[in-house]
Amino acid sequence: MIQDNPESKFIIIFHPDIFIGKKYTVRSGLEMTNGEVLKYWGKWIVLGEKSWLDELAIKLDPFVEDEKIPVIKYDREPSVNLGIEECVMMIYCDRRDRDKIWQILSRFGVKLKAWVTEKETMEMWLPGGVLLERWIESKKFNEVTKNKVREDAQARLGYIFEHPDEIFVPWEQ
Amino acid sequence: MPVKIMIPGSLRNWFGGETEYSCQGERILDCIDRLDERFPGTKERLINQKGNISNVLIFLNGDNLRNLDGLSTTVKDGDEISIVPLAAGG
Repeated sequence: MIQDNPESKFIIIFHPDIFIGKKYTVRSGLEMTNGEVLKYWGKWIVLGEKSWLDELAIKLDPFVEDEKIPVIKYDREPSVNLGIEECVMMIYCDRRDRDKIWQILSRFGVKLKAWVTEKETMEMWLPGGVLLERWIESKKFNEVTKNKVREDAQARLGYIFEHPDEIFVPWEQ
Repeated sequence: MPVKIMIPGSLRNWFGGETEYSCQGERILDCIDRLDERFPGTKERLINQKGNISNVLIFLNGDNLRNLDGLSTTVKDGDEISIVPLAAGG
């Protein structure tokens, strides 16, 4: 199902059983640990106009309902403050399934082929990471707020690196 | 068969409005040099003064160059290079 909540930065496509406790970071019936997510989890990146991504979302939704794709999210509007003029769609999956999912994406006209691991993304959003620091600068925060943002990022993302054996808990978006 | 370079709309202005470009080269860096010859200024947009990739993520057949041999990664006929804005990876 496609969840288009105007208060969220993202439009999200997920299996409706999420509402009754279904998890999407699952492998062979077992929930993935933080360590497994850092090792295997990632996403195909698709860039495009919002209208094209809306059409693509409708085409991909059945594959999420069929549990062939775990979860998808995409921008409601471009992150202009981070230097992007297009919306970004992220099609999440386990690295071991990525080739099968690429076949689906290419069938619907996705040409640009870019796989980003969740570990790489988290590293970019940790204190000192290029995306966190650019985002902080774009917001023109004062020093106190900058440090608070960095502390929050360290607490949330650092925990995943520091507790590899715990079950991964996705955060709300 | 040459190497194909895929460019998203966000970066189209850097490449004369093109979103696909073909070139020949042995390494990714050679391909960027070819791009720079065709679209002057490309190299300094993609690579910082330390010689590292900056502002963008570059992928060879879907894999981030950071997980390969960086700009020294060798390419072969039929390979596809994708260049996306850095923030798209977040």
